[in-house]
Amino acid sequence: MNETPLVVASNVVLEYHDGSRDVRALDGIDLAIQRGEFVGLVGPSGSGKSSLLFVLAGLRPPTSGRVAVMGEDLPAYADASAGMRRRRIGFLFQEPFLVPYLSVRENALTHAPGDAAEGRVEALAQAIGMTSMLDERPHRLSGGERQRASLLRALANNPDLILADEPTASLDQQTGHAVMDVLRTHTKDAGLLVVTHDRGMIEDANRVLFLRDGRLKHE
Amino acid sequence: MLAIQALVTCLLVLIITPTNAFEATAEADIRPLDTFTVVNPRRKAEFDDELSALLDDNPAQASRVEAKFLWVRTPMIVSHSWSPMIALPRDIWPEFLAKLDVELIEGSFPKPDSDGVVLHEDVVRGRGMKLGDEFGRAVNVRHTTPGKFTLVGVFGGPSRVGLTDLAYASKPATVLYRRPPVQVVYAKTGRKDESDQYLRDARQENGHEAFTVIDARYARQRVAEVFQNLPLLIGFITGSVALVVALVISLLNVIAFQVRVDEFGLYLAIGHARWRLVRKLAIETSLVAVLAWLLGLGLGLLGVYLYKHLWLAPKGIAIYVIDARPLLFSLSVPVLSTLTGAIALGRRLHSMDPVAVIQRRGT
Repeated sequence: MNETPLVVASNVVLEYHDGSRDVRALDGIDLAIQRGEFVGLVGPSGSGKSSLLFVLAGLRPPTSGRVAVMGEDLPAYADASAGMRRRRIGFLFQEPFLVPYLSVRENALTHAPGDAAEGRVEALAQAIGMTSMLDERPHRLSGGERQRASLLRALANNPDLILADEPTASLDQQTGHAVMDVLRTHTKDAGLLVVTHDRGMIEDANRVLFLRDGRLKHE
Repeated sequence: MLAIQALVTCLLVLIITPTNAFEATAEADIRPLDTFTVVNPRRKAEFDDELSALLDDNPAQASRVEAKFLWVRTPMIVSHSWSPMIALPRDIWPEFLAKLDVELIEGSFPKPDSDGVVLHEDVVRGRGMKLGDEFGRAVNVRHTTPGKFTLVGVFGGPSRVGLTDLAYASKPATVLYRRPPVQVVYAKTGRKDESDQYLRDARQENGHEAFTVIDARYARQRVAEVFQNLPLLIGFITGSVALVVALVISLLNVIAFQVRVDEFGLYLAIGHARWRLVRKLAIETSLVAVLAWLLGLGLGLLGVYLYKHLWLAPKGIAIYVIDARPLLFSLSVPVLSTLTGAIALGRRLHSMDPVAVIQRRGT
């Protein structure tokens, strides 16, 4: 493993207002993920798992604390330069979240346009058995196929860090394991952080973190 | 969106273009004056030796011929148009018509000394006449052309002109006898402007006009004076319509954006810069606007073409189907709709929270 962590969160706090209520979603998070490391993140609903992913992805600026990706502080979301760096992060959502009027191939390339990415999408599609579906629109695919299509998009630019927010939640057990196998196989050199309620999906994780009330515990 | 903008562009073209019917019809009436100039005595009953000598000193003059000059009134959309009708000696008719590129397409030329007249087909249609019909104030007091004439032939060609026999118009028994003769002046080839300028300069005599020069410039100035305030009306109509359309389009753009909010939330979430998305939306909006404008123009021009041939032509009213004014005025629709649409969408995108979109999608 590389000595410089891929992502570092230091004393990260995230607070926001929910109506008249002040919510402290993350409360002093310290976290480091190394390149090649597979980290599972579990916790009850509302514990702050998704919030942590959004902060690590740069989609939510922390109220306080510091997030660094590949040695660089991740600027606030509004910073235009954050966009290019955030493209080094693959995000896999709970829902496939595909653009309905684009083909699977076009959806995959929205994250990483260019010939190199196109070649990688072709290779990935072959590996996960989606070559014949590359030119299909999302509405013609099953739930599992759509999630695999979103996997193509997340992996298209060979990201350094993959953040996956319950990627198998809407899939059956068999399809969920297939998606996780693909994710593991193609992210061996990247960092992988998977949020899940299903312990079975992260049984081969290097580490499993437990989040409760915005505080992190290592298991 | 595209259909609404196209429809509005089409309507603007259909509303604005017909206003050029006044100018187009006037231009057809004026066109003969591009070939010759009419000089009308003011202080004397006719061109005496002194006035004739003054005309003949014109170095750009090719020839001149005595004639009687009348106007024939034709109903327009509003008010009337006035076409020239000239009483000329029979022997110069062929040359006169050849220079105007006008030819007899129906009926015959007037018989010698007869009250026969040949009018242009537009005038005949506009007045609802047929061969054998009589007109003139002696026939109907509401007619503005003095005397009495019988339609015996119809001209076709680009210039609206009527022709009758000078011998008839000079008969002592007719009211036209008292009408002073004019001079129809032809310039040498390529020197019409010079000839007209000479006549305009020569007409002043002791501070008074010795004769009136009726040339194309004079006629066009008169027409321009009549229509000088038309752009005020058209500009107001177009500006108001374009503004309302722009607001409607920006509203529709925002509604359309709501349908695609997940898509843009996703783009933001995976790292696309906001300004790139705003640019993408602006390009999409402007492309739709330009396509709609072209489609609207096509439909509008087709509508004007049909309007011209089905309704205006039978009334003898001319119109320019292709007119720069409606094209330019209607351009305000795509410009305003693109601007307002892009600004509205840019504001929406600027305030968009991709996390909220993702979370909403996940629920």
